[in-house]
Amino acid sequence: MKVKVVTNILEANERIAAENRKRFDDAGVFVMNVLSGPGAGKTSLLERTIQELSGKMKIGVIEGDIAGADDAERIDKLGIPVVQINTGGGCHLDASMITGVLEDLPPLRELDLLIIENVGNLVCPAEFNLGEHMKVMLLSLAEGHDKPLKYPMMFQTSTALVLNKIDLLPYIDVDVAKIRKDSLSLNQHLKIFEVSCKTGQGIREWTDWVQTLIK
Amino acid sequence: MHEVSIAQGMLDIALDYCGKNGYSVIKSITVKIGKAAGVVPDSLQFAFESLKTETIAQNATLIIDEVPVAGTCNDCGKHFTVDEAYVIQCPLCGSLSFKLETGRELNISELEVE
Repeated sequence: MKVKVVTNILEANERIAAENRKRFDDAGVFVMNVLSGPGAGKTSLLERTIQELSGKMKIGVIEGDIAGADDAERIDKLGIPVVQINTGGGCHLDASMITGVLEDLPPLRELDLLIIENVGNLVCPAEFNLGEHMKVMLLSLAEGHDKPLKYPMMFQTSTALVLNKIDLLPYIDVDVAKIRKDSLSLNQHLKIFEVSCKTGQGIREWTDWVQTLIK
Repeated sequence: MHEVSIAQGMLDIALDYCGKNGYSVIKSITVKIGKAAGVVPDSLQFAFESLKTETIAQNATLIIDEVPVAGTCNDCGKHFTVDEAYVIQCPLCGSLSFKLETGRELNISELEVE
């Protein structure tokens, strides 16, 4: 016998993401999901952002990695509540993984900003909503100007694009204008920042903007 | 890259449906997968074959209906269909800005059960 069972296969994730989102909204915490390839500088961006904003608001962090706790240890040193998720080979975080660690953070209503650092990967993390208010894509310039057109979904689903390692510009052949043009073609509303997490250049502009999003 | 979790999600939905409706054998599962859904059909098939063992779907076949990518261009306003799976551009004007109407589906559409 044939039966029609029209169901979205990712429905379970979408449902849990919606539940997470409701918890975040009820608690009044703004949630940012940070995406990038491995080594673009997500943890460094978190460190800089925390240093800039932690005097002004309460921040919590969820670290997603395939294995290890190196990133969580870096955040812990800054005195910020952090919980590490190890996906054990999984290429992305999903909504239920977030639900599973919320109890390990301080009560959400005590936080103003929750930053989720996704697994380093330019493909899969864009497909799974976690319940966040915005996705932020981080691209380091040494990765090359071909990335927006090679990994369009990351750029299409993000609210902001942070271009990191601009201090490397004198040493590498990268066309920043092309990155901007292609990214904006994919997503005309994308907000673009140029920073160096190493020197601190451009960080203030980024954190000033983040601050405007938090009530 | 995450075809295993998609195959598991698909199998869970089918097993759950059969459990609730009193069916004891799944003969086939038909899924509609958009060409721009980021899913490789062969990998999904492979993951399904390994996950279905020791379930009531152990002899089930997976039927994958691929859905073409179609949308309306935000720049030239024309409706288009493309055969591209990942980097989508309006075939008429080359724009990267569009509204997709189909191509991102990831749905179970039909089960054959006993």
